[in-house]
Amino acid sequence: MFPKLDPLLHSELRLAVMSILAGVEEADFTYLKKQTGATSGNLSVQIDKLTTAGYITVEKGFKGKMPRTACRITPAGRKAFCRYVEALKEYLSAGK
Amino acid sequence: MEQNKEMTAQQSLSLITETLNNSRRDILRGNSKYFILWGIILTLLSLLIYVCWHFTGKASWNFLWFSMPLIGYPLAAILGKKDQGMPKSELGRMTGGVWTVFGAFSICLSLIAVFAVPMHLTLLIVVILGLAESVSGVLLKNWPIIIAGFILGVGGAVMAMLIKSEAQLLLFTLGGILLAITGLIVKFQYK
Repeated sequence: MFPKLDPLLHSELRLAVMSILAGVEEADFTYLKKQTGATSGNLSVQIDKLTTAGYITVEKGFKGKMPRTACRITPAGRKAFCRYVEALKEYLSAGK
Repeated sequence: MEQNKEMTAQQSLSLITETLNNSRRDILRGNSKYFILWGIILTLLSLLIYVCWHFTGKASWNFLWFSMPLIGYPLAAILGKKDQGMPKSELGRMTGGVWTVFGAFSICLSLIAVFAVPMHLTLLIVVILGLAESVSGVLLKNWPIIIAGFILGVGGAVMAMLIKSEAQLLLFTLGGILLAITGLIVKFQYK
């Protein structure tokens, strides 16, 4: 029996956001937007979903005079991400 | 990128791998400019002190070394401002930590050598400079940096014992050139 893939992570944009955040301490909204190529509105919606799930935290503030939105992965998010990757590996190894 | 696109397991894994690699590439490329900056400063300053010492015969030109952090840190801060929007990473923080420790060791050893206990400063600094570069290479998983650091530290230590007076400064010129070259290698490797 295969483990169920986390539906929250099994979406292209949310998975990309989580993958970026898994590899860094913190990333700006602008960086996430640039890396994913998503629109601001779409990205905001997906970030909200990940925040609501407790997978990431969002901190709004200013750097100098510029507004800044910093996103971080939470321990729960990292755990879910690792579980998701393990599940993917199981799917792939079963398919071989 | 769409949020509802159906992905196969293979596509998901590929997306994760590609995204992680892209972030890593950005971080490494961001670090490369500091290697280039400090490499250029080290090269120019060591050459300047060498020329002044050589033509005046005064070793006191070595006091100019204390201007290195005064020149380097503000320039590094200006470069850092251009990094706004770049992700903060454990890797960047650790590499920065290595060079901060190197700076602190160099300044303290230089002050002690000049004002309290004379010691073979060229030997000491060149070894810790090479060590700092190699450790950075290990953290960044980058062989050119590891090897350049090793050549600089070990080769520089041997040369520091073999050559005398102002000619030793050319070791730092070589060190500066190696630093700048490794920065350029990383920059173009992760372009």
